[in-house]
Order: sequence, then structure tokens, then C-alpha cells
Amino acid sequence: MSRAQPPKRWRPIVVGLLTMAGFLLTFVVPFLFIFLQAVKDRRAANKLDFTWPDSWHLWENIVAVVQTRDYILLLAYFNSIVITVGAVTLLVIFASMVGYVLSRRRSRLNGFVMALVLAGLMIPPAVVPTIWVLQGLTLFKTIHGMILIQVAYGLSFSILLYRAFIAGIPRELDEAALIDGAKPWQIFFRVVLPLLRPVTVTNIVVQSIGIFNDFTNPLYYLPGRENVTVQLTLFNFQSQFSTQYNLLFTNILLITIPPLIVFIFFNRQIVAGMTAGAVKG
Amino acid sequence: MSGLILAGVEKAFGAVQVIKGIDLTVNPGEFCVFVGPSGCGKSTLLRMIAGLEGVSAGAISIGGTDVTWAEPSERGIAMVFQSYALYPHMSVRDNIGFGLSLARVPKDQIAEKVNQAAELLQLTALLDRKPKALSGGQRQRVAIGRAIVRDPAVFLFDEPLSNLDASLRAQMRLELTDLHARLGATMIYVTHDQVEAMTMADKIVVLNAGRIEQVGRPMDLYRAPATPFVAGFIGSPRMNLYTGELARAEGCVTYGIRPEHLTLVAQGGKWQGTVRFVERLGPDAMVHLHVAGLGDMTVRTSGEIALSTGDETGIMPQEGREHRFAD
Amino acid sequence: MTAPRRKSPYPSWFFVPAAVVYGTLFLLPTVASLWFSLTRWDLFTATYIGLDNFRQFFSEPFLVSSIGKTLIYAGLTSGLKTILGLLLAVLLVSPIIWRGMLRTIVFFPVLVSTVGVGITFTTMMHPTKGIINVLLESLGIDGPGWLTDPSLALFSVVLVDVWKGVGLATVIYMAGLVSISQDYYEASRIDGATRFQQFWRITLPLVWPATVTVVTLSLISGLRFFELIWAMTRGGPGFSSDVVASVIYKQYQAGFYGLATAGNVVLFSLIALLILPLTWWFNTREVEA
Repeated sequence: MSRAQPPKRWRPIVVGLLTMAGFLLTFVVPFLFIFLQAVKDRRAANKLDFTWPDSWHLWENIVAVVQTRDYILLLAYFNSIVITVGAVTLLVIFASMVGYVLSRRRSRLNGFVMALVLAGLMIPPAVVPTIWVLQGLTLFKTIHGMILIQVAYGLSFSILLYRAFIAGIPRELDEAALIDGAKPWQIFFRVVLPLLRPVTVTNIVVQSIGIFNDFTNPLYYLPGRENVTVQLTLFNFQSQFSTQYNLLFTNILLITIPPLIVFIFFNRQIVAGMTAGAVKG
Repeated sequence: MSGLILAGVEKAFGAVQVIKGIDLTVNPGEFCVFVGPSGCGKSTLLRMIAGLEGVSAGAISIGGTDVTWAEPSERGIAMVFQSYALYPHMSVRDNIGFGLSLARVPKDQIAEKVNQAAELLQLTALLDRKPKALSGGQRQRVAIGRAIVRDPAVFLFDEPLSNLDASLRAQMRLELTDLHARLGATMIYVTHDQVEAMTMADKIVVLNAGRIEQVGRPMDLYRAPATPFVAGFIGSPRMNLYTGELARAEGCVTYGIRPEHLTLVAQGGKWQGTVRFVERLGPDAMVHLHVAGLGDMTVRTSGEIALSTGDETGIMPQEGREHRFAD
Repeated sequence: MTAPRRKSPYPSWFFVPAAVVYGTLFLLPTVASLWFSLTRWDLFTATYIGLDNFRQFFSEPFLVSSIGKTLIYAGLTSGLKTILGLLLAVLLVSPIIWRGMLRTIVFFPVLVSTVGVGITFTTMMHPTKGIINVLLESLGIDGPGWLTDPSLALFSVVLVDVWKGVGLATVIYMAGLVSISQDYYEASRIDGATRFQQFWRITLPLVWPATVTVVTLSLISGLRFFELIWAMTRGGPGFSSDVVASVIYKQYQAGFYGLATAGNVVLFSLIALLILPLTWWFNTREVEA
């Protein structure tokens, strides 16, 4: 006969410790490696080993990376921030408008629009024809062309987030505003949009990180030295710094910092956004 | 002051006919209550008057103007929703003044009107709060305030008390009646609660399955219900209604008698019943009886009545209080 | 009397700004790709050459093999992310110490620059000096040339991809797991189910929507994936780790625009052929559940 056993108090501690050990080895060591490489001098870094530095050179390295190729990293930061801010602003406005009508109106058009939205999540962009279209519009190799590309590629995800959230806002609010004499655009911008703040924060954070980290699209659509973005500096430095691992990893460190900061402040919204739809009822 | 006229109003959602031809006149200054069971179309009818639902056939006019196809904001109506629909991101002051600010009314005029409404509804101390920080009754009053500042020809209320608890509901009934008396405005009020209808209305419209069953003053409906449906819906406890042999003997299709119009007698009586149980409410008691060959019957008596389950008693209807329906 | 049209409070013009951008920069190129894939094209003049691009695509061994490698890559990353994601999620919703911190650690790589991760791991996977092989050597194991051995390079990239992406699968599964009512577990305990039975008979079926999301998302991104491969191997050594997406870029760089576009059409068809039946199958499963 089996006896009831007392709860094992040591279990959460042991499992937690073991998991932490595994995570430190797999997930933390690579980040630590980046940091160690970034603080070493050139000779020490080129050994590529996982050892504590003999001497600290972080500031020197940062200055050297920033000064490389005539301060190209600062230009890249500027470009990346302009693209990210511009694209995310447009995404929030455009996607919330579509999500709102999609969620509120019963119409045959909706099925068609939803099919396009899902296609946008699935279909890989046709690169060369896109360049052809951008050239036709004289948007190729321009920052605003890049912004519009990021908007086009990000719309589907944002629309789905907004649509799901708006379904939870009572329709009576729209009707009250309608009776109060609000025009359709006033109902949306003065009554509904302010209520979308939580999902808008999620959208801004998730899309910003995605666009800031994007490498492929600037590689295709934004060639040219003056148009460089942060991810491309990394790529360019990879060959230039092939014997200066300290600078290469200082660069990685500098590029990893913005998402890290965003993550610290918006951890909850990021996870909420990325898991949206996974547990639909 | 303005009245409302509905002429042959119909509404169909696809093949489903929800409102089946309504003709109704609401006089200026009247408090008119639409009452009926859920699904009878009363809320749809109200939303059609507001312009939130289109009309399939017929015409609506408010204050002598045809508004059948007018935008909701151009009909001279104001509406208080069941959920109050207060804008959560705006203060009480901005909620009440929102419609005026959309109409580009000058700021000082808005402030004046908002303050007047707030005073009328005792909201002055709460003007800078957000709806989240208000109690149910206070939210209700803000919703009414938002309606008042529009100076509407007709106020529309969609089950505004159903989200409140019982004691608050009784208090709000009095407040609304009082408000109607002070404003003298035309009000249309939708509810499924016949107590609200009886206590507040100048005119009750009983709706059933998309049609008007009867229109009249509360006591008229109570005294002379036109159909068994109205008889069963208006008045509490419910009227005793019988079809079959008794009705045939009385020369009608349905025979009805209210519990308060029956008297228990020791001897004789029209019927003999066995007490099933006695509900004692204090001032009075509901005696639930079984009458052989007829079925269940409820009688309202004095609270002190000395009867208990199993007792036999005679039952006598009061003179002139019997109802005989032809359907 | 005919009813005048009432203006909807939800006007169609709200679609317009999004539709203009999406239509010109996504839909138009996608539709145009069907035509340009049938041409010899230098961005200015396109000469119709029928199916020659596709014929070439399917006759060059390194191009054909990129399709197989794409499938292997997508299948492996998707499978590993799903299994590891579920296991990690079960671990991280159970009552253990440092739970919050562990969740943060596993998710952080998702947000980090892919190119940065690629370069870091390329360095760590250096055949002689990289810390992975140095560690293995100290344990007496002769570490392989992770990225220099043609038979291994693709799988090394798969491992890094899983390392970076498993956090997303984990949080999706965690959201799915916490939405399962505790009542089921209590009811089944009274029925005498073991922990193992609970996992198979309750957790797994009820976490199905999360599984659908994880598998679909990771498959689509696996099929389209480019950044990590480009940062780590450029498709090498030789063509050993070339996938369709990297082939497209190489053809584009070389100026074979028609061929690159044909590659795009191939990739598009590949995704549609895999995802549409899969989604359909997932949906029928969901109805049964």
C-alpha cells in the first residue's frame, strides 16, 4: 500500500538550480563572451578565449569603433532610428484604422481583407520586383522608401494585434459618440484610439525591435554608404575587423544595448504581443 | 417640447422580421416606457428611434420633423445606454461636454452647461474624476448628464437601471421620475421590469414578438388589460389565468383574476382549494393553492392569516374584478 | 420609397492608407514576380523566355539542393523549437526558484540582433580557437569544424537558430499552459492519473492551439530564413549550407534578376505547398478537439 508522501520542499530549489546552471552555460556565456571580448585589447581578443581580461579597454574600444570610417556608426544609428520611428508611427496609425473597421463592420469585404493580411504573414517578399517598383517611384536607396517597405511588411502583424484588442472595446462607446455628433474619424481618433494604448505600446515595442534589428531589407533596398543602418555596420565591420575582434565585439555590444533597454522596460508588453493569438478561445 | 410619431415602422434582419409594423404617438413631455420580455424587439425599436439601426419600412418623426433617414446626431435625441458607455479616458467634465465640443460650442458656454447639469445631478464634486473612480449610481448620473446638455427633444433610456443593485435601483427610479418632472422633457424608457414601467410611466407600451400588445396609462393597463399577455405581464404577483372548461363556462377563451382580487372564505366560495404553501412577506402573504379540476391559484391575503400547508379553504372572486378575454 | 444609403460609422476609406502602401510595395511586386520570373531581365528590359529560369533552377545541382536544405533547415529548427519550447515552458511554469529570472534569460536572445548572434557564434565555433572546441578539448573530445566541415555547417546554423528562437516558442507555450484550468489537473488527480499521464492526456491536447502557432510560425520563418546563414557561412563552405533565400540573394548580386525572381516564386510555392495543407490539417484537428 502506498503512503501519502509529504511535499518535497527541496524540489523547487534543486530544479531551479539545475535549470539556472544549464541556462548560464547555454544562454549567458555567449553574452558574457561578447562583453569580455569588447573590453580586451586587440592581442588578447584575438585569442578568442573565454578568460578574464588582464586590462580593461572598453572605453578605448568604443571610441575606436565610433570613429571608424569617419563616424559611420553614428550615421548608422541616426538612419536606423529615423527608419524605426517613421515606420512604427505609420504602422500604428494605418494598422489601428484597418483593425478597427475590420473588427467593427460586418461586411463581405472583410474576408478578402483578412486573406490579404494572412498572405502578408506568409508570403516572402519578391525582392527584385520590389526594387523595380521602388525605382519606378524613385524610392530606391532612400530612407523614406525604406520606411514604407517596413510599413508594408509589418502591417499584417500589427493589424491582427489591433483587431483582436478592439473586439474587446464595447460598441456602445462608438454609438454614444455617434449620438454626441462625432464624425467617423472623430469616433476613431478621439474615442477609440486613446483606448488602444496598451496594444499600441505592445505594437510600438515589438515592431521597433524588429525593424531596428532588421538586416535583410536594408541589405536589399537601402544600399549605399550614406544609407547604412546599424545591422549593416556590423556586417561591414565583420570583414574590416577580421583581425580586431575587440572592436567587432564592441560594435555588437553597442548594437545589442537598445533592445536590452527596451526589454528591461517593456518585458510584459513584448511577451504579450508575441504570444497574442496563441491562446485564442 | 416635442413628441414622437412612429408610422408603420418595420425592421428585418435578413429574413427575420424583428419589428412587425409599429404605430405609436408619444405626446410632448410624456414619460413613455417600452416594456416586454427579452427578445420582444423593444431595444431594437429604441435603437431605430435613435438612428443606430436603419428602418426597413415606415417613418419616424420627432417634433414634427421626419427623421427616418437622419443621422443619429441630427435627430434631437440623447441616449443613456445600459452600460452607460462613458468614455473611460475622459473626466466626468469632458464626458458631459464631449458632444458640445464636437459641435464647436465656445468653451465658456460648454463649461456653463456642464456645471448646470452637474448641479442638477449632484455631480459637481466629481467633475474631475475618471469614470473608473465612480460608483454605479454616479456613472448612471454622468450618463444622464451627458444626455441633458444636448437639450434633446427626446431622451432615450435603454434599460439604464439593470446594472444596479436592488436598493439603488429603487432610489434611481425616484430620481428619474423627479428629473422628468423638473425637465418636462419627452422620455422613452426601455425595460423588461414591469415594476419600473408601472412606477415611472405616464404611458406604457407593452411589446410582444415585434408587435404592440397594448398602449395605455399604467393603471388602465392594470385595470383593463386588452390581452392575456398584458394581463400576465403587468401586475405582481402574476394574474391567475385559465383556459379550458372554466373559461368556456364564463363565456370566453381565457379567464383571469388577480391574486389581490380573491378572498379566502371559510364556507361557500366559487372554488374549493388545498393550500400548497404560504409565502409570508410580512404585511401580506401569498397563498398558493391547488384547485381540483382547475390547477394552481395564487391568492394575496393579510400577512397574519392562519393557514398552513394542507388546509382546505373556499375562494371567492371580488365583484367586477374578473377578466374575460376573447383570445 | 427607396431607402437612401446611410453612411456607416466605420468607413471603408480607413483601409486606404494601409492598402496603398501594402498594395504598391508588397502585392504589386508579388504579382509582378510571376511575370518577371518568365523573363531575362536587367531591371530595364525584360525579355520573355518562358520557363527557362525554372528549367535552369531545377537543372543546376546546387540550386536544386538548396530546396532540400531549406526543407531540412525549416523542419529541424521548427521541430526542435517546438519540442524544446514545450519542455522549457513546462519547466518554467512549474514552481521552481528564480522562475522570473529564468524566463527573462531564455527570452532575451529573441530580441537581439541576428547578425550579432551569428558573428558571436561564428567566433565561438572557430575550429581551433573557438571556446566550444576548447571546452570540448579540455574534456578530451576532438571538436569538429562546426562551420568549416561541409557536412556539418548547415546543422551548426540550425543549432544557433534554435538557440536564438526557442525563447519565443517557450513564451507562447507558457501562455498556453497557464490558460489551462487547474481544475483538469485536480479532477484527473482524483481519478488517479500520474504526472506522466497528466502531461500526455491533459497538457498536450489542451495546449494544441499554442502548438499550432509555434509550428506554423517557426516553419514559415525557417523557410524564409536568410540572416543567420548569411552572417555565419554565406552559404558555404562551397554551397553546402545554401538555402533558397541565400541563393536568391546570390543570383541578385550576380545580376541574374530573372533567375533570382524565379527563386522567389519557388520559395513562395514551397511555403504555400507546406503551410496551406498544414493549416488545413491543424484546423480539422481543432474541430475534433
